[in-house]
Amino acid sequence: MKKMRGTVIPLLALAVAIAWVGSAQAGPLEDLVAGAKKEGAIEFYGPSTLGPDGAQALSQAFNKKYGLNIKLGYSPSGNMTRDTAKVIGLSASGVAPEWDIMVVTDAHHGSLWLRKLHKSFDYTQLGVAKERIEYDNGAVSVANQFALPAYNKKLLPAKDVPTKWEDLLDPKWKGKLGVINSTHHFARLAAGPWGEEKTTAFVKKLAEQKPILGRAGEMAQRLILGEVLISATLQDSQIHEAAESGAPLAFADAIQPVISPEYNVGVLKGAPHANVATLFTAFMASAEIQPIWKKHAGQSSAYVPGTDAYKFVQGKQVVYMKQDQAKLIDKLTRDYGKIFGFDR
Amino acid sequence: MKSETRHDVSPISWEGYAQLKQQGTTWFAAGLSGFLLILIGVPVAMVIIMSLRTGFPGEDLPLTLENFIEVYFNAGTYEILLNTLIFAVASISVALFFTVPLVWILMRTDIPFKKTIYVLLTVGILIPVFLRTIAWILLLSPRIGLINLWLQKLFESSSPPFNLYSITGMAFVQGVSFVPGAFFMLAAAYRSMDPSLEEAAYTSGVGKLKTFLKINIPITLPAIAAVMVYLFMTAIAVFEVPAIIGMPARILVLSSLIYNSTTPSTGLPSYGMAGAYGAIMLVLGLALASLYVRLVKQGKKYTVITGRGYRPREIALGRWKWAALAFVFFYLSIEVFIPFLVLLWASMLPYLQLPSAAALSSMTLKHYVEVPLHVGAQPFINTLILMFTVPTLTMILSVLISWVVIRTQVSFRGFLDTLAFIPHAVPGILMAVGMAYLALAYRDVFPLYGTVFIIVLAHTINWIAYGTRTTNSVMIQVHRELEEAGRVSGASSPRVLWKIVLPLIAAGVLNSWVWIGMLSYREVTMALTLYTRHNVVISTVVWQFWGSGWVPQVAALGVILILFATIVVGTVRVVLSRIGEIGEAS
Repeated sequence: MKKMRGTVIPLLALAVAIAWVGSAQAGPLEDLVAGAKKEGAIEFYGPSTLGPDGAQALSQAFNKKYGLNIKLGYSPSGNMTRDTAKVIGLSASGVAPEWDIMVVTDAHHGSLWLRKLHKSFDYTQLGVAKERIEYDNGAVSVANQFALPAYNKKLLPAKDVPTKWEDLLDPKWKGKLGVINSTHHFARLAAGPWGEEKTTAFVKKLAEQKPILGRAGEMAQRLILGEVLISATLQDSQIHEAAESGAPLAFADAIQPVISPEYNVGVLKGAPHANVATLFTAFMASAEIQPIWKKHAGQSSAYVPGTDAYKFVQGKQVVYMKQDQAKLIDKLTRDYGKIFGFDR
Repeated sequence: MKSETRHDVSPISWEGYAQLKQQGTTWFAAGLSGFLLILIGVPVAMVIIMSLRTGFPGEDLPLTLENFIEVYFNAGTYEILLNTLIFAVASISVALFFTVPLVWILMRTDIPFKKTIYVLLTVGILIPVFLRTIAWILLLSPRIGLINLWLQKLFESSSPPFNLYSITGMAFVQGVSFVPGAFFMLAAAYRSMDPSLEEAAYTSGVGKLKTFLKINIPITLPAIAAVMVYLFMTAIAVFEVPAIIGMPARILVLSSLIYNSTTPSTGLPSYGMAGAYGAIMLVLGLALASLYVRLVKQGKKYTVITGRGYRPREIALGRWKWAALAFVFFYLSIEVFIPFLVLLWASMLPYLQLPSAAALSSMTLKHYVEVPLHVGAQPFINTLILMFTVPTLTMILSVLISWVVIRTQVSFRGFLDTLAFIPHAVPGILMAVGMAYLALAYRDVFPLYGTVFIIVLAHTINWIAYGTRTTNSVMIQVHRELEEAGRVSGASSPRVLWKIVLPLIAAGVLNSWVWIGMLSYREVTMALTLYTRHNVVISTVVWQFWGSGWVPQVAALGVILILFATIVVGTVRVVLSRIGEIGEAS
């Protein structure tokens, strides 16, 4: 009996321990799924390039994975800067955000993080790899954009395609260049490999080239039409869209370093559907959304092996943003905007 | 004794009655002023408070003059102010160059195809300004503009003759887009012009051109001045042309600064700076409002409509009709045909291209199939709500305000008129921001945030200025003797307004109703500031598409929009034409 007790007690203790560990591992997920069932909906803000079809595809995959029937409301971004500011403004007014989660660039999430507007969660509990988590557990990386100089393949002879960033400063391009309002591209170079002094000098010289200014979408159109011969930077979203429509846009992809803004997803503080939002955020870090995102939005994650982005960055010098650079990038983005003439 | 009593009492009753009527009018005017003061004053007050704050509206920060110091102690602000004034004056010049002859030709002469021209003019309004601007880039850009390329080839020139990326280029595009608005404002005044003055001129052997310059223009000078004042304020506040043509070339005007402050390209918005820049507009607006009140006072000199029948006679153009037609065709080409053709062309391409054999072979209708599916029905429903509700509310308020301002002797009528003009002095975007935060701060008692009705309210407030300028202009020309006759017959003031004044001004009111409906349909700045995913309207969808660089999709949506609005406006015109005719004939 004593012998039996000696065997049973440790076994029972082990069983209890296993059950406890099991419940500790499954707990957050089960709680979130149960909470999500009650909430039944999610307001999702994401890039307009994803489109309603892409958003619905994500929604279906999410519902299938967790056995849910969540209704997803998709708000395509018209202007991420403006909408991030809107969230900050609403929060200052004490009003709940319009959206539960936002998929915006890491620079925009930096603005939210600096004002403590994320609802943080330990996403590693839901199986998200640590390197995908940013802003003190406030945001998770979804996909990588790439930004490089872009040109019109039909109009620019191959010999004139720039091969290094400094080629953009050649006087022959004066008045023929374009610069988009994503001046955070240069701020990333300043916070990263180039340093502030070199980048600022570069930006000033680029501004002396009297480039045409505009938003990314507009600049793509000006490139296609031939109004602008080279855009100092453009995002792969525009290249992807151009490829789909047959427009002759291309990256000057010999240039390095390659700038890589990330699309991050994060739950907003005060989100009305916090459980669905948290679960959806973790879902967005999973490998299964990569083909959906690639198909509809045109990007994939450089952290997920086998994706186009993963293959693209191999052997290249790539500039990623880290959360400790957020403040500097926030400041330099505005400074460079003024140098180019976007803002005063 | 009895007769003595009656003799004693009767005059007292009449005096008392008159006094009561006067008091009633004063109370009505006071109530109207109070209502307007709240409607307009509260969002404006929010804007003023905003200009005295840094940070975001709603943040509890102390009042400061920091924004004003930053704005007014910066030499660059004055350069931009100068740009703004040049742009405004040039735009008005372009607009009046086309508008005054057009109004005269269409309202006072026997030019053929009048109805067709009128319809085409209306269609022109339906082409959103930024779509028109894109069309002009394709035509007049120094690098790729088709007209420039063609002229360079023709004259073997190495440099392009036109540069759209200049203040002149901006003023040309903006000025042309002002023409339909100015046309509607002036049309009613020209239509009501007393023909006896012209007839006298013709009898004396004066030519048509001299009569136009010496009789028609001076007689409608208050109306022209009112239009100029109105356009001046509009030109200072518009942002689409400065954004699409000016900003890429670093030509900044006041509106671009305000737009940039609230919707910066980089960083976060500074509503306080926007408020400080907006203060310049507010001061200018108030100065111009005061100028306008003076013009209205002078208007009595130009009263030409009497109860003796005023339907003006059409002037026979004779052989001049071809010249007049050519002028109208030239205007319609730059206002309607060319932008519409460019839109149509762009809408059928997989991506934006200049005309070529390759482009022709790639034409497709896929955007027409895909775009409505992407957009859904809700934006169309919301837009219809705007198109009907906004002009109705605006014109009801405008008629009541103008009646007090022009037709009564209430001591504070000047104040009421100035109050009604203030919304035009406040940039729409600032008004919308003020409205948004008002609705957010008092959302429990004022639950409009996120609904289409907050846009209805913002648009109504914004166009009260336009509505009252039109109703003032037409009411000035209705002689008081008609109302006096009504009153002598024992009709009450509301009855006189309903039975005599309204039918006389119905044509002008209906024109403005249609025009405000169309302004509301294509307005983007306020709708964009106030939009959430529940109150999306078509103009915000178009703007989002444009921001994403989906030009062919925008063009397809533009063509659908033009057809949609043409059907709506056409139906409304048919339904209301009887009322309009009654108004004209009365």
